[in-house]
Amino acid sequence: MSYSKVDIRTWSILGSRGTFGVALTDAARSNPGIIALSADLCNTSGLDRFRNAYPTRFINTGIAEQNMLGVAAGLAATGFVPFATTFANFAALRSCEQVRHYLGYMQENVKLVGFGAGFAMGMFGVTHFALEDIAALRSISNLTIISPADGMEIVKATNTIAVTRGPVYLRLTGVMNAPIVYKEDYDFTIGKAITLREGDAVAIVATGSMVHPSLKAAEILATQGIMAQVVNVHTIKPLDTAAVDQLLNHRLVVTVEEHSIMGGLGTSIAEHVAQKRGFPPLLRIGVAQGYPHVGHYQHMLEVSGLTAPKIAGRIRLALDDTVGLSHE
Amino acid sequence: MTLLDFHMNNSRLIKCFEQGLGVSADQVTDSLAYNSIKQWDSVAHMVLVAAIETEFDIMMDTDDILAMSSVAVARQILQKYGIVFE
Repeated sequence: MSYSKVDIRTWSILGSRGTFGVALTDAARSNPGIIALSADLCNTSGLDRFRNAYPTRFINTGIAEQNMLGVAAGLAATGFVPFATTFANFAALRSCEQVRHYLGYMQENVKLVGFGAGFAMGMFGVTHFALEDIAALRSISNLTIISPADGMEIVKATNTIAVTRGPVYLRLTGVMNAPIVYKEDYDFTIGKAITLREGDAVAIVATGSMVHPSLKAAEILATQGIMAQVVNVHTIKPLDTAAVDQLLNHRLVVTVEEHSIMGGLGTSIAEHVAQKRGFPPLLRIGVAQGYPHVGHYQHMLEVSGLTAPKIAGRIRLALDDTVGLSHE
Repeated sequence: MTLLDFHMNNSRLIKCFEQGLGVSADQVTDSLAYNSIKQWDSVAHMVLVAAIETEFDIMMDTDDILAMSSVAVARQILQKYGIVFE
């Protein structure tokens, strides 16, 4: 598949929600089984074009996320491919029991899409931030969790899960005018991490919106003579443990995620490497415990230390002194 | 800047509208406006912006992206980026 510069820039401008809406509308053209469900977020979730193109395949359940999961599970049980969409906090926390029963236990072919994960909801505040969604859903058996790094990865992930049987949580991070990670086509396979940059001193393992700033942090570190490998873990579960095992020879392994420091990508890797001999120190960069005062998206990233200069600074400090590697 | 450049810029802009909105060149008049036709919806607007940015090798400010409500307004906005039409 080849994507034009216009496609790639369009996805960037649209951001994660708009890009998902475009991708799902395209996927629905060749897959009549696809149904979109929304908990009263049609326009906000980029699904207005889907609704206009396929009015009988769009269901607005109202502000009733738990019920939406039940409807989705019923559709899946009768052979449809439902994409149930809402803000990530409502998808993961409010509907957690439904996810456990319908997606985990019953393994219905439901694709749960969490919009605005992390700090993307900005001024809506703490009630709309999703900083614990991975932690809540990662322990649910049979559930795949995918967190795309940019627009192209959202398109690829949407197309892939639409034709892959099994329950999925698609975690969408970032806002409009999102940075571009992939400027040309590449192979996307669920469960296979991707090295975007080579380096032998530090390995930065990032997911979702944090992949781009991690690449920029690696550029900053390079100017200081520190060569950093950057790995995009787009599939948080199942974790690509083989890729993690390849990082053994670095002086430091760093995880970066727009999520709580507890329970997300960093914890997943910590659980895996706890059984390994000789694994390097692990620095987990994410959102510290607490409820940060609300602000615009970029401000939230700044105060949480999730910008490229701050990530690079943390890594530099950790390399200088490997004591106190997390900031819980 | 020559008269030919002005005409070329106009042709390039029309091409962007054709590509972004999926309309024919004769539909791209000054009065063509956002939401005035089915094809110019919120998603197509972003495709149009990406097409213009790629064609003219510019990066538009968010305020300009939101303000670009018609072909005529697009022409005015692009002049801010040094693209001349007359």
